Amino acid sequence: MRPELSATPSAIVLRGGFEMPERNTPQKTLESWKQIAAYLDRSERTVRRWEATEGLPVHRREHERQDTVFAFRHEIEAWSRLRTRCPREISIHEAESLPQLQPATNAYLVEHDAITRTMHCYIAGARAGDGDLMRAAFHPSATISGYCQGVEYSGSVDHVFQWITANGPAPNINPRFARIEIIESIAVVHLEVQRWSGRLAGANARASDVFTLLKWNGEWKITHKLFHWHNQ
Amino acid sequence: MTNSEYPTEYDGIVKTVQMYIDGSKQGKSELMRPAFHPEASFFGYAGDQLASGTQFLFDWIDKNGPAPKIEPRLVSVDILGSIAVVRLEVAGWSGSLAGSGVRMSDLFTLLKMPGGWKIIQKAFHWHV
Repeated sequence: MRPELSATPSAIVLRGGFEMPERNTPQKTLESWKQIAAYLDRSERTVRRWEATEGLPVHRREHERQDTVFAFRHEIEAWSRLRTRCPREISIHEAESLPQLQPATNAYLVEHDAITRTMHCYIAGARAGDGDLMRAAFHPSATISGYCQGVEYSGSVDHVFQWITANGPAPNINPRFARIEIIESIAVVHLEVQRWSGRLAGANARASDVFTLLKWNGEWKITHKLFHWHNQ
Repeated sequence: MTNSEYPTEYDGIVKTVQMYIDGSKQGKSELMRPAFHPEASFFGYAGDQLASGTQFLFDWIDKNGPAPKIEPRLVSVDILGSIAVVRLEVAGWSGSLAGSGVRMSDLFTLLKMPGGWKIIQKAFHWHV
């Protein structure tokens, strides 16, 4: 698995030759429970349950012996996007996995929680495959840097938004906070993200991300994202 | 990363950060410029003003002049494959812009390049 980049905005600096891989030719339908499950990176049992109880859009073709199922990718994506919300209105699914936080009274913890909220906005966008959703987490002049398939990408954060949207939903990313270090007006967050999936990420990819944040107009904003994709 | 690679990468990172320290101490941005990636960014507050851009940093270092008594300490060096984070604490800053006895906290993020480790961002906090 090697993460791919879809397009190259002019703000991005490329070093080294880079041939766009023609993988992931758009396949409009998923033709079995197995394919639907693989697309959502879940078990067949889970996606069948989602169809029954959560409205996962699955269609059926009638046959003499047994119907077959299929799903439109764009419908699955739209469904997945609807289930992902920004931090202030976290979905029930996600709320269950987060500890119940009382609003902090300690000044340090207030900053810590504010940083966590900013990062959850990034995570929500990544999970939904919606670059615009995470825009609020970033400073307007934010930049990114890192390697993709051995080629360095350094430049405007717009590239992240485009990549996230082109990648599509990654419903099973499982980010862990490896580090949140605050030095008054600046902070560094190290996020370990497993189970990346999507059109560009492939399946079950792992990334280490280091974010630098700045307290700006009273809000924590990401000024830089540095990423490393782990080889599998 | 294998056990034998770790010290090599660590030493490469420290060497790059040392260029920043040398430039700061002598008040010569030319000494630290090679440590920075061409696309590097720079952020932090100088008083109430948000300073940004590496050119601001280089100009500041040159205008500030020598700061012979700075005491730099590496607080952490974390390496994640092709990227790294370094926290540096520098006490005893002095100079025509810094004043005297100033302490700064720096967060450097670095990217491994074919020519060695380069600083891709420096964020700082000036302790008042």
